Amino acid sequence: MIPENLIRMKKVLIVVTAFIITGTIFSSCEKDVTVDIPQSDSKVVVEGYIETGQYPVVRLSYTLPFFGTISTLNFLQNGISGAVVTVSDGTSTDTLQEFLNYGIYFSTHLTGTAGRIYSLHVLVNGNSISAVTTIPQQVKLDSTWFKVDGSRDSLGFIWAHLTDPDSLGNNYRWFARRINHYQYGEDAGKIKDSIFITPRGSVFDDKFFNGKSFDFGYNRGSMPNSNKADDNNDEKIFFKRGDTVIVKFCSIDRAHFEFWRSEETQVNSNGNPFGSPAPVISNINGGLGIWGGYNPTYDTVIAR
Amino acid sequence: MRFFFPGVSFFLSLCFFSINLFAQDKPGQEIRKYTISGFVKEASSGESLLGTNVYVKEGLHGTSTNAYGFYSLTLPKGNYTLVVSFIGYIEQQFKINLDKDVRQNVSLDNKPVETREVTVTAEKEDKNVQGIEMGKNTLEVEKIKTLPSFLGEVDVLKSIQLLPGVQSAGEGNTGFYVRGGGPDQNLILLDEATVYNASHLFGFFSVFNADAVQNITLTKGGMPANYGGRLASVLDIQMKEGNNQKFNVDGGIGFIASRLTIQGPIKKDTSSFIVSARRTFVDLFMGKPFVKASSNINGNKYYFYDLNAKVNYRLSDKNRLFLSSYFGRDVFNYKSPKSSFYIKVPWGNATATARWNHLFNDQLFMNTSLIYTDYNFQFEGGQDVFSFKLFSGITDYGTKADLTWLPDVRNTVKFGVNYIYHIFVPSNASAKSGSVVFDLGKILREYAHDGALYINDDFDVSEKLKLNGGLRFTLFQQVGPFDRFIKDPVKKTIVDTISYTSGQSVKSYHHLEPRFSMRYSLNHLSSIKASYTQNYQYIHLASLSAISLPTDVWIPSSDKVEPQFGTQYALGYFRNFKNNLYETSVEVYYKEMKNQIEYEDGYMPENSVNDNVDNNFVFGKGWSYGAEFFVKKAKGKFNGWIGYTLAWTKRNFPDLNNGNTYFAKFDRRHDVSIVLVYELNKRWTFGATWVYATGNLNTFPERLYFLSNGNIVEDYGSQRNNYRLPSYHRLDISATLYGKKKKKYQSSWNFSVFNVYDRYNPYIIYFDNKFENNTITIQAKQISLFPMLPSVTYNFSF
Repeated sequence: MIPENLIRMKKVLIVVTAFIITGTIFSSCEKDVTVDIPQSDSKVVVEGYIETGQYPVVRLSYTLPFFGTISTLNFLQNGISGAVVTVSDGTSTDTLQEFLNYGIYFSTHLTGTAGRIYSLHVLVNGNSISAVTTIPQQVKLDSTWFKVDGSRDSLGFIWAHLTDPDSLGNNYRWFARRINHYQYGEDAGKIKDSIFITPRGSVFDDKFFNGKSFDFGYNRGSMPNSNKADDNNDEKIFFKRGDTVIVKFCSIDRAHFEFWRSEETQVNSNGNPFGSPAPVISNINGGLGIWGGYNPTYDTVIAR
Repeated sequence: MRFFFPGVSFFLSLCFFSINLFAQDKPGQEIRKYTISGFVKEASSGESLLGTNVYVKEGLHGTSTNAYGFYSLTLPKGNYTLVVSFIGYIEQQFKINLDKDVRQNVSLDNKPVETREVTVTAEKEDKNVQGIEMGKNTLEVEKIKTLPSFLGEVDVLKSIQLLPGVQSAGEGNTGFYVRGGGPDQNLILLDEATVYNASHLFGFFSVFNADAVQNITLTKGGMPANYGGRLASVLDIQMKEGNNQKFNVDGGIGFIASRLTIQGPIKKDTSSFIVSARRTFVDLFMGKPFVKASSNINGNKYYFYDLNAKVNYRLSDKNRLFLSSYFGRDVFNYKSPKSSFYIKVPWGNATATARWNHLFNDQLFMNTSLIYTDYNFQFEGGQDVFSFKLFSGITDYGTKADLTWLPDVRNTVKFGVNYIYHIFVPSNASAKSGSVVFDLGKILREYAHDGALYINDDFDVSEKLKLNGGLRFTLFQQVGPFDRFIKDPVKKTIVDTISYTSGQSVKSYHHLEPRFSMRYSLNHLSSIKASYTQNYQYIHLASLSAISLPTDVWIPSSDKVEPQFGTQYALGYFRNFKNNLYETSVEVYYKEMKNQIEYEDGYMPENSVNDNVDNNFVFGKGWSYGAEFFVKKAKGKFNGWIGYTLAWTKRNFPDLNNGNTYFAKFDRRHDVSIVLVYELNKRWTFGATWVYATGNLNTFPERLYFLSNGNIVEDYGSQRNNYRLPSYHRLDISATLYGKKKKKYQSSWNFSVFNVYDRYNPYIIYFDNKFENNTITIQAKQISLFPMLPSVTYNFSF
């Protein structure tokens, strides 16, 4: 959401300006340092989602010490196996099954329905962890389109028109995925995005435009540490003429919104000299992470 | 005006009480007393000289001139030798036969260059021992110009950071902390007008153009009753009055800015003006041909400027009028060369002061002022059909009257009244997409009356004992129009709104602030001083970070936010050596601060939009204690000082850090400043400063976890401020070369080297993660801002 981005730009701007004056005239110096933080105990992390018409999926893991080297193998092994995970929609309760031994749990009986409240309960090593989420009613986008940015010839953003429902308290999250294939380069022939990706500032609420009908636009997000060519050259953050883009526009509840908003703030504030620590607001009682419901709508945009 | 009545009667009774008290001074004695009074000015420019020592040799009764150069001594009938002296000026003596009231105006001449002594402070030789002030320092701008400068800009705020008990807010930063107080607890006055944000470019430079400033006084403890409204310190900056003898042009070109000052008489001896301007010129190099067209910084434009102007009229010997004003702006503009994205960010201060000095008689001096001050910040940006605007600020309209009554040589009584009408504009925003205007709420302003009455007496009880007692009565009232949003404690949504009409009281506070200090002389070279101060502060700075930023928001005490309350106890031992050649002191202090504010955990700036900013606060208390050691050599070719501070600063907020006490971010155990000046000959002067400070505290994550989207989430532990950055230290040197004196044209070159031994001081530490060969490595990286930086400044005067 661009207005949200602009509010954050305030912070970014400060850094940018400071470095314009100081950094470009005199190169600021950067070096690796060792930070000694006392070893801390690990906590249980829950990451679980339930979408309308889909089975819930929950991953359990332990936190890792902040500093150090983590191998991806280590990351997979870090899943918590053997926990008892249940999801209830108020009338029926399902115990989730574990997929292999990676700490990933899923249901085969229960699917998400709009307007319902889902409670998650996890029993791990004698600890009881719980969380609640709601799948809100669906809000559809009126229309979606591609628009070239400024005076560029083929790069632009995806725009949409939204009519926000009259009642205050709608929260949204935006995903997009390009399903066309690279025509050239080392990834030629591969699908551009293998999964839905969120741009920065992917969540917004209707605090400032409750009941209004308006246009908004999003830039293209990328995966962290992406080494794809178009995430590292001038095409970064842009969609391009010729792209076929699926927009996944989700309604989410307040706690789910708070989690992503604080998570994105934390990502943005790393390295900001004026920022204060940005803790991530979790809705998990007894642990960290998120238990979130999504009610998505899908639109296809062909960038012309 | 029902609001002020209790205060007035209280004040009147105080006055009567004190008059009765003073009338009993020396009962039964019939010796007639007369008064010697007058103004002291500098001969060549006609500028008032404040802090000049005026005393009679017989009995060594003395005083010093006030901020307007006025002095008054009331003595028994007799013959006296009046001595008027000021370091750097030729002392004058007058034989006075005191059988009637005498008016003696004095013009002091500068000492010739050959015997010029570079001193950083100008005070009576044993003033530090015999004066009652504790924790008070005066700096003369002409003297700090010989110290090393940062990028060629002489900065008065950076100079005061070299004093013990004053900490810099950070690398190259003009912000400062005094004895564990926050940046909002310093009252910064420019010709009596409050300057709410004293920095340019996020703190790297202060708004005070050294060419326009005459004098700086910092009071960090034992605040007398004529000052109030802040817990930690008062920084009083006086602008030059302007030369009333001849026209004078001063200017200079530094590394990033150039300056020009013009001053002269409007009518010789009676009126003068000064106009001073400064502007950065970095933006001129930001376009072609200095920067490549494809460079990312193209489209950026940043500059700041300051304008100072002042006129003064001597209407008669008893009446003087001063008009002074300041206007400064920072402007940052960005327009993307290709895209439709743009940002415009202007911010700055404006102040205006009109003052009238009136001498009722030889013993009663009055200054009345009308004061206007304004600070505002605006951020505007947009892309395509979107546009967004955010603004905040504060405007004050104030008036005050300060009277000084000198009934006899043993008492200096100050009393006065002060009133400010504040208009606060906390964060407000507007946004639209095409023709659709978003609902960011109506513009929220907050209004408040802020009044004070005070009386203060400086009383020489005996040769050994001097007492200073004062009482300040303060009133603060937040008034409508105002909307208080009541929020659901869990959902955080607004469930109700209480609306106050224009002028309706929202909340009012009134408090008494006693102040007390004493000096006891052990002998003529050493003394013990003690002070006790209580202060209330009715305005608060809501800040997300530890340093003062233009985005910080000032808000009043309200129904939600109680006034800040500070209590300070200080004790000091002062001793001079070798005929006052060396001055030393040790001061210890203990300070308590109540009703401190912080944003609640997880606060984001957009939370304040369409809400009361203070709905997002949590409240707690702070305290600090420490010891300050100071050794100064004030005279001679080789002079300077060493200051060392040992301090602890703590905070406790029930809603932060699980309610456990934690050390404040700027808690620094050790802080050292060494300032050395060496005058080789009349053409060369060398300066060096070395600073050392324990590193700041930061909150670093203790553990992490991965999300399925590949992001790493940092988890902060239970302990706030759990990591101390490496210590900060830096050596700066300077050399000043004065040009050969020609008829009228004088010039000097200042060569400075900042960070001589190229210390990589930590500015921030951030975390970088690298993904390689199926491993993720998290590495802490330290950014240091300034390596060794040489600079040259050329100054001229004609």
